[in-house]
Amino acid sequence: MTNERVTAQILAQFPQLEKDPSPVKDYPTLRLPDAASLLPVISHLKDSLGFSYLDMVTAVDWKGPVDPAGYVREERAHPFQAKPAAAAAAKPLPGAPYRDAFTLVYALSRFANPLKIFLKLDVPREQPRAASLARIFRTADWQEREVFDLFGIFFDGHPDLRRILTLESLQGHPLRKDYAHAEDRFDR
Amino acid sequence: MNTAPAPSRSELKTDQLFVNLGPQHPSTHGVLRVGLTIEGEIIVKAEPDIGYLHRGIEKLCETRSYGQCIVLSDRLDYCSAMTNNLAFCLAAEKLLGVHAPQRADALRVAMCELQRIASHLILLGTYGIDIGAFTPFLYAFREREMVMDLFEMVSGARLTYNYIRIGGVRADVDAQWVARTREFLEYFKPRLDEYDTLLSYNPIFIDRTRGVGVISAEKAADYGLSGPNLRASGPAYDARRAEPHCGYEKYPFDVITAESGDCWDRYHCRVREMRQSVRILEAVLDGLPGGEILAKVPKIVKPAPGESYAHVEGARGDLGVYLVSDGGPNPFRAHVRAPSFLNLSILQEIFLGQRMADAIAILGSLDIVLGEVDR
Repeated sequence: MTNERVTAQILAQFPQLEKDPSPVKDYPTLRLPDAASLLPVISHLKDSLGFSYLDMVTAVDWKGPVDPAGYVREERAHPFQAKPAAAAAAKPLPGAPYRDAFTLVYALSRFANPLKIFLKLDVPREQPRAASLARIFRTADWQEREVFDLFGIFFDGHPDLRRILTLESLQGHPLRKDYAHAEDRFDR
Repeated sequence: MNTAPAPSRSELKTDQLFVNLGPQHPSTHGVLRVGLTIEGEIIVKAEPDIGYLHRGIEKLCETRSYGQCIVLSDRLDYCSAMTNNLAFCLAAEKLLGVHAPQRADALRVAMCELQRIASHLILLGTYGIDIGAFTPFLYAFREREMVMDLFEMVSGARLTYNYIRIGGVRADVDAQWVARTREFLEYFKPRLDEYDTLLSYNPIFIDRTRGVGVISAEKAADYGLSGPNLRASGPAYDARRAEPHCGYEKYPFDVITAESGDCWDRYHCRVREMRQSVRILEAVLDGLPGGEILAKVPKIVKPAPGESYAHVEGARGDLGVYLVSDGGPNPFRAHVRAPSFLNLSILQEIFLGQRMADAIAILGSLDIVLGEVDR
């Protein structure tokens, strides 16, 4: 009930938003039409509707099923066992919305009348960029660094966009579906 | 006798000093490095450096079936594997649209509360060591051992249980387990008062932690803190209350909060939470429903394309799992909202202006587990 009221409130304020066709189950999910509307919508949610808590920032790579050949190392043959078959690349499945884009997923919460809301924003796989939320929520700092590290999405206006979990010297962004491991000094 | 006048402050050569805290230091509870720049005793800059334990669990999930992912979730926060299992299974159940039977729900609540006690006991023991009190560690681990024994009885493992499954739990408990759990609770209740006399109200401990590392409510929410770290600053946000899962709405418990948000409050919130866990456990054992422990779930879990998010109140905070399915047997994307990761991010701010010796007290009070920070 509250879900629908809040969704209607946001949609009245920002008519360019739309309900997501594949929502996060049990939660109101809205889709942002373009990167420009991200900051105004988030600011409005925080200042006017009391969503003062940024729960989660993450991303999804929609390129297609993951290809493990790029990063699964060949296992050493055991003398008494047959050589394990190389992991086969999964086949694309019908019905899955594969496309050439990343989806940024934001979750916001409020403490009074607890409610969680999800926002999604598609960014192209070539030159993925979005505005940084670090000026609105300090927690976006590390979460966006993680998304940058693992997906290679750039956040404009981020105070300190560096890798956070992986090595500075790592080539590529591991959570992309087409990630292939480049040999480094740890392989030898 | 040296009669030369002492040099005035302006003549003294002062320099900033860079100090590495960690990566291998007992007080970092794992492999965490914090690059500290200090001026005398005062910290002027703190740069947490994480990722030493990064295993790419989110990527590994993409090539494993849902059942195999539960095993990986054990390895996230290895001090509270039960709640990790639960968060992942709840997200997968939402994707599938199945619900665990009543008995399984009650058992899940029991396991999670036992896990909370075990996890908070680790903090109680190791935080004492961080501050310089060694005895509480022995007391805390003595009690934790009993919880480990209870977990071993039901799952066969002492740390990575893989007990909670999609649609229920793996094994039923018998009357002996229930009796031993009751026995433990009776034994444990007076121990809580003992901890208070042993550590909480120890004047030296209070001196080291009262008014140190104060986090305001606004700042805590701004940095995405959750769990006891958030509640010690004021906001009474608890996922068990805000969005009850597994029938938490049926059990009596108070959401423990404090006002000042200093190290002592963060520590003592956990001690008081253990008492609430005991209350919940007693209610669960009193009204343990009969029936099935596992819902009907297909052998190969293949949810329809869709997305789900489930979050539970773990020992360290609001643990969330975000799953995306493309209709295949493996998650298309699995993301863990790790409370320790976010709790740690405030370090760069609250360290500033604190004394070097207090850094350990602040870091310990946040109760991080690096397995979850780095994933």
